Amino acid sequence: MHKRGTPLALLLLCTLTGAPSWAPAQEARPGASQRPPAGGAHPMHQRGPKQFSLANSAGARATLWKPDLGRIPLAIDNGILTLKGTGVDNYHALVIEQDWGYLVESIISYHYMRGKPSGRSTTELTAARKTRLEIVPQPVPREHHQYETGERWGFQVRFDGRPMAAQTLTLETAHGTTLTGISDAEGRIDFTFPDDFPSLIRGERNRTLAAFTLSTRHLAEGTEYISHLQGEYRPNPRHWRSLGLGVAVAGIGFAAGGLLTGFGRARREESA
Amino acid sequence: MNPLKNLSVIRKLVQLTTFVFFIYGGFLGSYYLADKVSGALPALHCAYNMDGADLCTLVPFQHQMDHRLGPIIAQGGNLLMGLMPTLITLGTFLLFFVFLNKAFCGWICPVGTFQELLHILGQKLGLRRTGSLDEETVRRTRPVKWAILGLLVFGFPLLTGLGWLNHDMGDPFCRICPSRILSTLAAGDTSQLYVDTATTTTLFWSLVADFLFGLMIAMALTIRLPFCRICPMLALHAVFRKLGLLRLVKNPSPRCGKCGLCAKACPMDIREIHTEMDKHNVTFEDCTLCGRCVEFCPDKDVLQLKYTVFPLFSADPQYFKVRKKAQTEWEKKTLFGNHAQGVKKSGAKPT
Repeated sequence: MHKRGTPLALLLLCTLTGAPSWAPAQEARPGASQRPPAGGAHPMHQRGPKQFSLANSAGARATLWKPDLGRIPLAIDNGILTLKGTGVDNYHALVIEQDWGYLVESIISYHYMRGKPSGRSTTELTAARKTRLEIVPQPVPREHHQYETGERWGFQVRFDGRPMAAQTLTLETAHGTTLTGISDAEGRIDFTFPDDFPSLIRGERNRTLAAFTLSTRHLAEGTEYISHLQGEYRPNPRHWRSLGLGVAVAGIGFAAGGLLTGFGRARREESA
Repeated sequence: MNPLKNLSVIRKLVQLTTFVFFIYGGFLGSYYLADKVSGALPALHCAYNMDGADLCTLVPFQHQMDHRLGPIIAQGGNLLMGLMPTLITLGTFLLFFVFLNKAFCGWICPVGTFQELLHILGQKLGLRRTGSLDEETVRRTRPVKWAILGLLVFGFPLLTGLGWLNHDMGDPFCRICPSRILSTLAAGDTSQLYVDTATTTTLFWSLVADFLFGLMIAMALTIRLPFCRICPMLALHAVFRKLGLLRLVKNPSPRCGKCGLCAKACPMDIREIHTEMDKHNVTFEDCTLCGRCVEFCPDKDVLQLKYTVFPLFSADPQYFKVRKKAQTEWEKKTLFGNHAQGVKKSGAKPT
């Protein structure tokens, strides 16, 4: 039952199949193969349908926004939502709304789908007004990339399509970190994704995904609006990549290049 | 010499403009891949540079071998469906390539521009440069680009898609490409200069990449275009060079046999420009259509850069005299004052 002043979202979206999405993060087994199974289970190459479970979904409406801003209503069957490919590639926006009259709650998430080239920019999708209160990634991580720990990413909060200044936003991660910030005059706010993955071993790759939710709320005309942006982030490769060693190896290459050209020149001069 | 009548100066201006455009062009509103100019640029520019205006065609080729064609073959699917994305990418590549042919290397490629700037730096620092590589070195180096194209761009990614190699072999050329490190560093991002200890494969590729990047910088200071000589994009261009509308043509003169200035001026050491007496189209597999051979040809219209049948730039004795004098003056000037520092084996003293 929804009540005024509810501190957190009541709608809850969890992945059942497909690429890991909003489910609690699972750590990869150390030393486990990073090779995707046949058929390409790399998140960006997922072609099969994804299924989500929705808690407290009574009265919720789900809509899939295509890259060309076409909309497809999705059925929620006993709290299960199936997201099938639309035949075109690029980011799609899954928008779930629940209107209780005094409380309107929404969840937006962006999903990359494979298919024929859409020829449309994700900028169009993020610019479109999908709900009255909306948190918009600026930008969405580019195709084949994801949010990573330690990276600073921008978001904009809008109401009726207009930027909202001085709006409080809360970022919560599956690993228990909570960050709060206030939007600037353009409704923009930047968050640095926390380096909060447990069990990271320095030098070992960890491609685990974990969910995050960015939330805000606004009271207008006697109705409370709550909006969430959901997504995933992963550990920064800096945990298993060394810049210092990279510079050192490049330096060795530089020295080798100098020696090689020097010897080559000496040899040519000798033979001449 | 009026710099704006100097083909090399004009080319440098074009190179610098395109370098800035491709490295920083994302600020103009092409952050997402869908916003990029082509997604199949016939010049090395890296997709890892988020601020870039485009990405080179070798990126999607590897990706399609690994994630599309390989899995479809492995699963016994429709081969044509597996090849379709590659054919679309190839078609896009050709749409661009036909217009400028191999001039994408000599006039557009940011990695080529970077190496040429390093060579100028080497000259200005007074380093002893190698004008022309010897024939044997050039002959041995030439097949390397074909091996890299065949193995690292198509072979290993396809084997990865078939499930025979681990996922880190899915984009091996990108993993060693100096453009990945160069274009990201140029955009202020150090994330691509690394040693990756995740797996033996990533460790190997990252060591090769960093070593090659350092090697390229050192060699480019004294040798002309060291990486271009093994670049798989040059090999890919060579396959389709007959389709290009821009080409290098030769109308041999009896004096050609004694001269050879064109070959000395060539930054890729293509001696065949000098020795070839039969073919009209002398856009050889290593040619980058930079036009230096035309500049340093002393005989009227013997060498020409032609766009279809229209000559854009032709060898001219008057131009040659002025150009050679300007080159000599340029070579004398270094950061440590004027001195005539020799360039071995090159009468044309190319920079």
